[in-house]
Amino acid sequence: MGKDKPTKGKNERSKLPKHLELQRDFVTCGDKLNYNTQTFTSANVFSAMGVDNSWDPAQFKENFRIIINKMDNEVMEFDMIGADPAIANALRRILIAEVPTMAIEHVFVINNTSIIQDEVLAHRLGLVPLLIPPHLFEAKVAEEAPSEKNTVVFKLDVTAKRNRDGSIENEKVLSSDLEWLPGGSELPEETTCRFAAGQAHLFTEPSTPAPRAVHDNILLAKLRPGQTIVLEAHATKGTGKEHAKWSPVATAWYRLQPEVHMLREVPADSELGQELVAACPGLFATDERGLIRSNCARGHEMVLEKLRRLLEQEPFSSAVAYRKKKDHFIFTIESSGVLPPQDLLTQALDILGEKARNLATKLT
Amino acid sequence: MNQPDRYVQFVLPEGERKVNYKADTKLKDAGTFSFRSEDHTMGNLLRMLLHSDKATVFAGYRIPHPLEPVMVVKVQTNGTKTPEEAMSHALQDLASEFEYMLNEFDREVMNAQQSAMHNI
Repeated sequence: MGKDKPTKGKNERSKLPKHLELQRDFVTCGDKLNYNTQTFTSANVFSAMGVDNSWDPAQFKENFRIIINKMDNEVMEFDMIGADPAIANALRRILIAEVPTMAIEHVFVINNTSIIQDEVLAHRLGLVPLLIPPHLFEAKVAEEAPSEKNTVVFKLDVTAKRNRDGSIENEKVLSSDLEWLPGGSELPEETTCRFAAGQAHLFTEPSTPAPRAVHDNILLAKLRPGQTIVLEAHATKGTGKEHAKWSPVATAWYRLQPEVHMLREVPADSELGQELVAACPGLFATDERGLIRSNCARGHEMVLEKLRRLLEQEPFSSAVAYRKKKDHFIFTIESSGVLPPQDLLTQALDILGEKARNLATKLT
Repeated sequence: MNQPDRYVQFVLPEGERKVNYKADTKLKDAGTFSFRSEDHTMGNLLRMLLHSDKATVFAGYRIPHPLEPVMVVKVQTNGTKTPEEAMSHALQDLASEFEYMLNEFDREVMNAQQSAMHNI
């Protein structure tokens, strides 16, 4: 039954009466809470009306769009239209927790006479984002010995001295003081880290810069004259699921596309019209017929909360509707600097696809 | 102190099966899938895709206890498919959906980069 149904176009989906379509596609924003927030993904939910709501791959491909608004090395903002909230959320969760990066895991302290305790210093070192491409390394399983395939070794050797003129040298220990050791650990017996070969050949400038912290000016510790910190730090590959230091994004979030509609005609010179324009500057304008029309809500987010408060009472609530489109997500990804955000998103989608394929094969 | 190790959440122990299916004893065309080392990321996605299948009568997921990395999906179909088939179709649809999204996204990134280069 239904095997020879023609490919559904947009027309099939809009067979619902207007008010149901509104409930299905939009979240209505009220003053204190939002209404109609649930998604109607179930295929049979409208079967009483004779409308088939099942998911069709062809229709998904027709409706799905990505529009990139802003993209640079650190932040990316894009619109994802036509996806379900479960997909947007899965993407967000994977970006935060399952895209692998490198971070300092083991710290071998040789000498620490500073006022910062060993463990506090080790914790801070772990949180420093490291500019190391994670794909060059394998994740280290717990029992495995550290080697050039799974570990990057850094050294920190700072001593504070008082200069002739009274100023203090090396008063602040910054992330730029971390030195990369391409040949491996300098204490192979204590750290059990033996490199069979060096790592210098992996990092050929300028395409792959040598391992260092992403930001040079992260303050790790403060020293007084005579205090010294000598330690060796080993960085391994991990995911945000294990510890937040391995999360590649400063954060990643999404929100729904806001829309403002005029529910009825409001003359611009009426009291209501004047109040609307005065309360939400920029959002409302006068069109050629002398009626109030709403400008695109995207550019005027600042006044949308004020609009929410106004919509509590009449006459506003019957004149203006503030809605959010349920399948239009405005995604923002802020990378911590390890990888550019578009690479992060590509990896996240890869990981999701891999998970689905993996489960599909493991079903039997 | 009593917290289990974090790697348990995503590392499958030796000898454990990733997915277990148990047919329901009291209902026809119903069954429970039990996934190890999975969480809401996949659970919500599978539930959503199972719902959008016409043959599904009931689909839901839960994580019985937050300290154990087990995710359970319960499926009941109307008889035109078995629950295993419904799950299999859902996973295949998911894989193709993500592949399509990846291609779309790569295309858009290239367009954006090209237009950025032309504008300089």
